[in-house]
Amino acid sequence: MKKTVDVSIPLGPMHPCWKEPVRLKCETAGERVLHTEVELGYMKKGIERIMRGRPWQEVMFLAERVCGICSVVHNMVFIEAMELISDIAVPPRAAYLRVVANELDRVASHILANFSYCYTIEHETLAMYLLNTRERVLDNLERLTGSRINTAYMIPGGVRFDLLPEDAATMLADLAKVEEELKRYVQIFESGPLIGLRSRGIGYMSREDAIRAHTVGPTARASGVEDCDLRLRHPTYRALGFEQVTRTEGDNFARVMLRFQEVFQSIDLIRKCVDTLPAGHIRGGGLCRAGEVSYSGEAPRGELTYTIKTDDFGRVLDIAIRTPSIMNIEACAHYMVVNATSIADVTSTFISSDPCIACNER
Amino acid sequence: MSILQSIKNAVRSRSIHVSYIDVGSCNGCDIEVLACLAPRYDIEQYGIYVHNNPREADVLLVIGSVTPQWEDKLRNIWEKIPAPKAAIAIGNCPISGCVYARKGSLTTPPVKNYIPIAAEVPGCPPRPTEILSAILSVAPLIFKDYEEKQS
Amino acid sequence: MRSIVYYVREFLRPEWLKKFFFVKTAPLVTPPYFKGYPTLTGKDCTGCFTCMMICPAPDAIAVLRRKEQWEPEVYPGHCIRCGLCVEACPEGVLASGRVTDLARRDATAFWHSFHLEVDESLCMRCGNCCVSCPINRQIDPQLAGTGTSTSDEVIMRVSSGRVRILHEEKCTGCKTCETQCPSGAIRVARMVEGVQFLDGVES
Repeated sequence: MKKTVDVSIPLGPMHPCWKEPVRLKCETAGERVLHTEVELGYMKKGIERIMRGRPWQEVMFLAERVCGICSVVHNMVFIEAMELISDIAVPPRAAYLRVVANELDRVASHILANFSYCYTIEHETLAMYLLNTRERVLDNLERLTGSRINTAYMIPGGVRFDLLPEDAATMLADLAKVEEELKRYVQIFESGPLIGLRSRGIGYMSREDAIRAHTVGPTARASGVEDCDLRLRHPTYRALGFEQVTRTEGDNFARVMLRFQEVFQSIDLIRKCVDTLPAGHIRGGGLCRAGEVSYSGEAPRGELTYTIKTDDFGRVLDIAIRTPSIMNIEACAHYMVVNATSIADVTSTFISSDPCIACNER
Repeated sequence: MSILQSIKNAVRSRSIHVSYIDVGSCNGCDIEVLACLAPRYDIEQYGIYVHNNPREADVLLVIGSVTPQWEDKLRNIWEKIPAPKAAIAIGNCPISGCVYARKGSLTTPPVKNYIPIAAEVPGCPPRPTEILSAILSVAPLIFKDYEEKQS
Repeated sequence: MRSIVYYVREFLRPEWLKKFFFVKTAPLVTPPYFKGYPTLTGKDCTGCFTCMMICPAPDAIAVLRRKEQWEPEVYPGHCIRCGLCVEACPEGVLASGRVTDLARRDATAFWHSFHLEVDESLCMRCGNCCVSCPINRQIDPQLAGTGTSTSDEVIMRVSSGRVRILHEEKCTGCKTCETQCPSGAIRVARMVEGVQFLDGVES
């Protein structure tokens, strides 16, 4: 390769801003970053290999531990794929409770992503505010499922625990507080002049680039890609009247703001769910059977696909997981940080695409 | 005990710099360590400062079962931390490998085999309060009378 | 200058100094709804091994015999605090958070069944599976070292040169046979189903 750059600067694998190990190699000319490459492979645990030959009650926990931040949606997509294979119907109450757990997890995940972004651009006050708000959301998730992070809430044919009426009332009150607090933080974020300098127009990705790079989730939606939210195809979300949020700016600011908007939308969805929670069973029963299916769901970071093959007794014979971050990280390296003005912008742009390395490498 | 040593003990137990390293976990323990920063738990009121730089750390929080990539790097990072130092294993992964310690896995737990571990916080993931109390109870014991023990 | 004097006076107030140096947030308590490590409730364990069977983490729970009494033991560092054992236990021996209360309130349970299969192309008829099976040994203490038995009540036995599975329904899913098999021929499938009884009717 012809040497066209001054210095090649590695970022990571241990970096103060990054929660997980990943390495970015930036080729720079002066302060300007010309080209970036991502180096993965620090977190490969071989989860798909461990999953083979195991029944759902063991694979479910492994699927959760693909990613700790969005563990509920991994659980949900795996369980719904197993239900699709073995024709298990879910009672309506359980379907609504799943949406509640999933959206609570999404709120927590989005707030954490925005916390990381604020922490990276050194706006520590806002970061700490957001982290404290996240605790309130996690409290509600804990009250519903019994755990903060890896919840193990969904099982084939339903959910494990019911939502008690007094907990539902606390949840609604807490969510009102969360919404109120977040409105203030959004105002801070929108109007902060220094935040604007670090965010607006930095890491721009056009709609065409977003489509060419196969980006998914908030990263794609912030660039104006329509119809890329898989919740539009999920029956329960459709019944709740879900609509996709799209922004057109395509820069760091848009990505963070889009996550804030999705949080408000998720809070509305939870409220609608809790208000119209149907009575009845929370578990339908049903054994897992043989079959093969490829099923996708919308994780906080984008489209998540499980391709599963099972045998007659519900054991997973073969499984392949495609997680959303892999496309977003590649898009980040090849489209967003091209010709960035400084190394600091590379870090903040990378964090703004909400990378999840544990998801990527399994 | 010399006066200098007692001053050192007092200062060290009230100013603990923490570095965390993820050697292949599910990410759940990372965000629980981050959650300790939240004003609700407020790790900094005890003088614990989390920043990801091994060269100025006192306590290393090891998260995750060891993946092949980290087998040599983990030891390197441990050697870069200036003495006195302590490593705390957070979560089940560094203790036993959690759900990854099975046939077909690429990980090689426990972390004990690579670096000396001073304390273990079990749980998958542990609550932030458990992490906090582990750091607070272990760090002063490790750093107490360090110079006198050396000589 | 006046502002500096103001700040010095402000910061020298004993109240401020006390707050600055000594105030800590109140110690947080673990909420009662958190699923902690399973604890024993004091009820008698019957030794059905359901908890061991359903546990998703390796080596997290073991049911041990202590002075004529079975007793489950949970190992922190292996246990992932999922609460499946608490929910699956038919006797209510274990407790964790609100799991038992909620399970009783909603009448939820886990049903499990097991399927044994022997791959004839891998099996070398050593009889290790039949000998190692704890249920087999209980039923027929005279089980021979080669796995042959005169009793028809055993789960499996070697007869006429093959392993024959007679009573699949007696299996507890402990997978001892699977771990003892030298060639990996016998496989136990643990099939679990989450069910709920509402108004006395199974859903």
